[in-house]
Amino acid sequence: MPDVNLTIDGRPVAVPAGTLVVEAAKKLGVEIPVFCYHHKLDYVGACRLCVVEISPGPPIARIACGTPVSEGMVVKTQTSLAVEARADVLEFELVNHPLDCPVCDKGGECPLQDFTFRHGYPTSRIDGPRLHFKKPIPLSDKIALDRERCVLCYRCTRYYDEVAWEQELTVGERGVESFITSQFDRPLQSNFSGNIIDLCPVGALTSRVWRFESRPWDMTSSATICSRCAVGCSVTQWQRRGQLVRVTSRENDDIDEGWICDRGRFDYTDVNDPSRLRTPSVRGSRSSWADAIAELAAGIKGKGSRLGISLPQDITNEEAHLFRALLDGPLKSARVSMQGRTAIPAPSGAATMRIKEIDDARVIVVVASDIEDDVPIVDLRVKKAVGKRGAKLIVIHPDGVDLDRHPGVLHIRNAPGSAAAEVRKLASHEWLQNPGGLVAVLFGDGRGSEDAADLAVACAELAEKVGGKRMPLYRATNERGALALGVAGSDKLDGVEALLIWGPPPSTGIPPSVRFLAAWDHLPRPDYANAAVLLPATTFAERQGTYSNLEGTVQFLRPPIAVPSPLKEGWEVLSELGAALGVTLDYAGISPIQREIAGRVPELAALAHPPDPNPEPRRVLVGPAHP
Amino acid sequence: MGVLSDHVMEEIRALPPQFPEVRSAVMPALDLAQEEIGYLTPEAMSDVAAALNLDPGYVEGVATFYTLFHTEPTGKHRLYMCTNISCKLRGADDLLEHAMRSVGVHEQGEVSADGLFSVEAVECLGACEYAPMMRLDHAYHYDLTPEKVDELITARRNPSPPVPARQTKPRTPRRQKTDG
Amino acid sequence: MAELRGTTNGPVLTRWFGTDDLHRIDVYERLGGYVALRKAITTMTPDQIVQEIKDSGLRGRGGADFSTGVKWSLMPKESAVPMHLVVNADESEPGSAKDRYLMENSPHMLLEGVGIAAYAIRSHQAWIYIRGEYDLPFARLTAGIEEMRAKGYLGPKPFGADWELDIRIFRGHGAYICGEEGALLESLEGKRAQPRAWKPPYPAQKGAWGRPTTVNNVETISTVPFIIDRGAAEYAKFGTEKAKGTRMFTVSGHVQRPGNYEMEIGKTYRDLIEGLAGGALPGRTIKCWWPGGSSSPVMPGDLLDTTTDLDGIKNLANLKDHPAPPLNMGGRGFATMGGSGGVIVMDDTFCAVKAAHRLLQFYAHESCGKCTPCRVGGNWAVRAYDAILSGNGGPQEIKILERVQEGLQGGRCLCGLGDAAGWVIASSLTHYRNEYEEHALHNVCSAEKVGMAANA
Repeated sequence: MPDVNLTIDGRPVAVPAGTLVVEAAKKLGVEIPVFCYHHKLDYVGACRLCVVEISPGPPIARIACGTPVSEGMVVKTQTSLAVEARADVLEFELVNHPLDCPVCDKGGECPLQDFTFRHGYPTSRIDGPRLHFKKPIPLSDKIALDRERCVLCYRCTRYYDEVAWEQELTVGERGVESFITSQFDRPLQSNFSGNIIDLCPVGALTSRVWRFESRPWDMTSSATICSRCAVGCSVTQWQRRGQLVRVTSRENDDIDEGWICDRGRFDYTDVNDPSRLRTPSVRGSRSSWADAIAELAAGIKGKGSRLGISLPQDITNEEAHLFRALLDGPLKSARVSMQGRTAIPAPSGAATMRIKEIDDARVIVVVASDIEDDVPIVDLRVKKAVGKRGAKLIVIHPDGVDLDRHPGVLHIRNAPGSAAAEVRKLASHEWLQNPGGLVAVLFGDGRGSEDAADLAVACAELAEKVGGKRMPLYRATNERGALALGVAGSDKLDGVEALLIWGPPPSTGIPPSVRFLAAWDHLPRPDYANAAVLLPATTFAERQGTYSNLEGTVQFLRPPIAVPSPLKEGWEVLSELGAALGVTLDYAGISPIQREIAGRVPELAALAHPPDPNPEPRRVLVGPAHP
Repeated sequence: MGVLSDHVMEEIRALPPQFPEVRSAVMPALDLAQEEIGYLTPEAMSDVAAALNLDPGYVEGVATFYTLFHTEPTGKHRLYMCTNISCKLRGADDLLEHAMRSVGVHEQGEVSADGLFSVEAVECLGACEYAPMMRLDHAYHYDLTPEKVDELITARRNPSPPVPARQTKPRTPRRQKTDG
Repeated sequence: MAELRGTTNGPVLTRWFGTDDLHRIDVYERLGGYVALRKAITTMTPDQIVQEIKDSGLRGRGGADFSTGVKWSLMPKESAVPMHLVVNADESEPGSAKDRYLMENSPHMLLEGVGIAAYAIRSHQAWIYIRGEYDLPFARLTAGIEEMRAKGYLGPKPFGADWELDIRIFRGHGAYICGEEGALLESLEGKRAQPRAWKPPYPAQKGAWGRPTTVNNVETISTVPFIIDRGAAEYAKFGTEKAKGTRMFTVSGHVQRPGNYEMEIGKTYRDLIEGLAGGALPGRTIKCWWPGGSSSPVMPGDLLDTTTDLDGIKNLANLKDHPAPPLNMGGRGFATMGGSGGVIVMDDTFCAVKAAHRLLQFYAHESCGKCTPCRVGGNWAVRAYDAILSGNGGPQEIKILERVQEGLQGGRCLCGLGDAAGWVIASSLTHYRNEYEEHALHNVCSAEKVGMAANA
């Protein structure tokens, strides 16, 4: 369809048909303030702030968020009617809004402040008493609600209902008495609750983890990638004086669409743990890196299959590459166990599905995974395709899952272990005969209850048969990269004599057979009491490198905090360990490693093309509170 | 858990097929719940939600929006006195005060000591030609005078066996009054 | 059942009123009821009915005054999903009781109209959304539907025609806003009744449950059987060149004979108030009147010669020598509006400020809270009125009222409730500014003195 031409404040702009005036203005850099409008939520027209004048049409206040463009439309944002109407709405919002900006966490990044500054009346005419609510109210141990500050834009409740398919956050009462509330004031349970903090255009919803921690202008931020699971959501990490103080969402339409789960948002305080390991130690005594590495090398060298190595789920591609060199050489035959990984084999054959392709699926099959827990943000993508775009949904899982909330879901409750058989039966299901478009086949491993290799084959066959694509739902952060680099072992560790624990201890515990224990971790743990060698590790907030997410997209970490001396980057430690073991892994920096990987592993060719570390800031005049 | 009787829960579960979408059944379901236990407690709303496979928060949001749903205890007989303009012009304010005095309550929503009555000033009930008027026990009562109000109250006070006042759980008010 | 107060044996809607047991189907049929529904379903096409209604000049009686036939013609002729007729029986406009009068006295007239209208828009399932407080009308309609079903007028083959028809009733639960089309549909869908911010699609494309929907008022639909039975021309004989037919008025307040009156459109409010309703109470003077429920801007008592045609009433010339209040409807000024036909009459014993205060309390209480101006503005105005009437006010409060009324009108709010609240303030403050200033500046109520003298 050809673009529609219109003018906004005299400036011509062409946008696709169906575009809203507020979005067309954004394209021109014309600010039309909004509270209720959000480009990822359904239209609601509640706040009435985005008033403009539009011709053709009567000379009345028109809202830019509720008006699609039309050919020849003339939009004026600066007429006296529009300017006054916007100022009036801001004044209305402030009639009962407390003036506690100095102690409000939102202060400094608050649309209500900014819009009032730019669009409000210069003087206040409000000197009457304000309505009061009890403040603040904990919505959960993570989120505080200050009802007095709320402007009732309904972003939070709409998000809950539309995006997360939950109604535990709701609106109580009506009129000026209405307020946001959790059901019967019980704590929010959702794994997606934190997004309402980013959505809130005022200081009504704030993070209790971050509460009163720092002023927005007192932090620096970095656009990076979440390391909590294999989805690889884009996030912004905020640091202040070397402490990670906040994680917020960062919109990436290919993957997360601006939503992150609560694990990604709130699960970061270990970065700032005062007990973090800072220096290497040997048998309980502080040591130099060189001594510790020499001790480690001596303990693991030549052990063959009597050496066990536990790998962290968030090992970077670069670390994995160097580690692979050790496995091919001095550590040959060692048993390797990557923590948190699924049993799903490395993808082969046809390309696997991209997360964004779920949007266009007409039928979605989710097999052997409670995706809300396994790959949370993929869960929201599926909900969008089903709830907003009318896709049909089939779930194969022994238990009830979050997706059952949709009344149209077909849930096949299989006996554990029979998922592959159910998938094979599905090929003849009526929904899949003429699906009318893409069929998405998402499969996990049943957390061990399914024969993952067989299930992968069954899903690939089904996808091929019905004209669909399959998406293996890896869980470990860089499981797919580790698979590509050949280090994603799932060997049993029992019986090993020497054990190197890299990252958190293995879920199976430390086998009693271990005589030599070394750990490379960022926190001291009881398991390490008898460790011969203890190496301090970096966290996701400090390390450089890349992850391949579950769909295979390579994403670069941009840590907000510099590696604090004497800590070293993981690749440096591996390089030194290599030297101690007699392998030369000498790189001037991380880039040569990345180029080397790109040249050798086709799946990771993107490593040769790191994005500009300082991308042009996107001009976001409306939308999430954190651009 | 489970304050609604089995048969009411059955009735509620039978509601959704009558509507194109399940949410349309929420208000009829709340009616049944309110009829059974007098007013809508969180437990009752949770029961309704469970029967309809919705989050309780959804049900709470609906219940608190509409004035005919009560989330606080009420009298067995609710006097809904119209006080909007047509009735006000014909003396509704005085009648409201009279009714409250007669049943022995000091404020709207308060339940009389015998548990029989509560009085609520309401908006226009759409019977303006009979102003002043009220709704009581699912019927309209017209051309009210203090004497007529007393008659209606007396008729309900005397023949009825005493009704124990419902157990009331004090609830913190969500909103305090304006300051200043 | 209380005595009927209003028109009996009127020209159209109330032509059989006064007959005993009119609510029973046998009585209704004996008088000629259900002839129109039979005729429509067995001899007319949906398009012919729509044309007939267009020709009759019937316009929506809920207050919007939009051509009913045109509204029906906006419905798709084919639809993959069911389509619905929804009758708005949520009558809650202060001063309006005419829908109740029609439903409880002649429920079958509405039900017959529902059948015809549903057939005309190709809907097999009609819903009547009735306010929860209407116990008797609900009972009458429920019984009426059962009677229809027993006669076979509902079900798979009404009158033997291959046209499945079903009428369902949905009870509201106390919210004035449900009279607003979008809020009504939200409520019917089981949600908090907050008006929908329509951009395309509109209800005729996506209404109740996302299906094509037409929403009509009780009186509008109740008129339909007459038009189909007697023909559009017969109906169009009533009224004026531009405003056809008769309509129901509820007259309440300070008059001798409050009631629901059917009157030909185009006659004056004097005909209604002084004629049918008997005029002011003995010894009193009509101070002001609201032509169509509390949402219609108030008119001074000397303007009773204003005619009742819904278009003409808006004309600013109706105000004669009175100053025009800063009223805004679609960007234009207007004098007042015919609204729901709920005529409220107030005499000189009552204070204009107190009346407006009560109405603002109503609009604030009934604001759904969705849009900012209405949610905050209505409450802010109430607090200003509180201050003025308690003697704690001053010029500042009058300024706030002036501010708030402007901030509520002309597209600022999501639906008409906010506009209406703005109109109440604007019209009252313009016509009775002296009383506001007496209260705000001198803490004096001159109406109270008149009242005390009248009662002395």
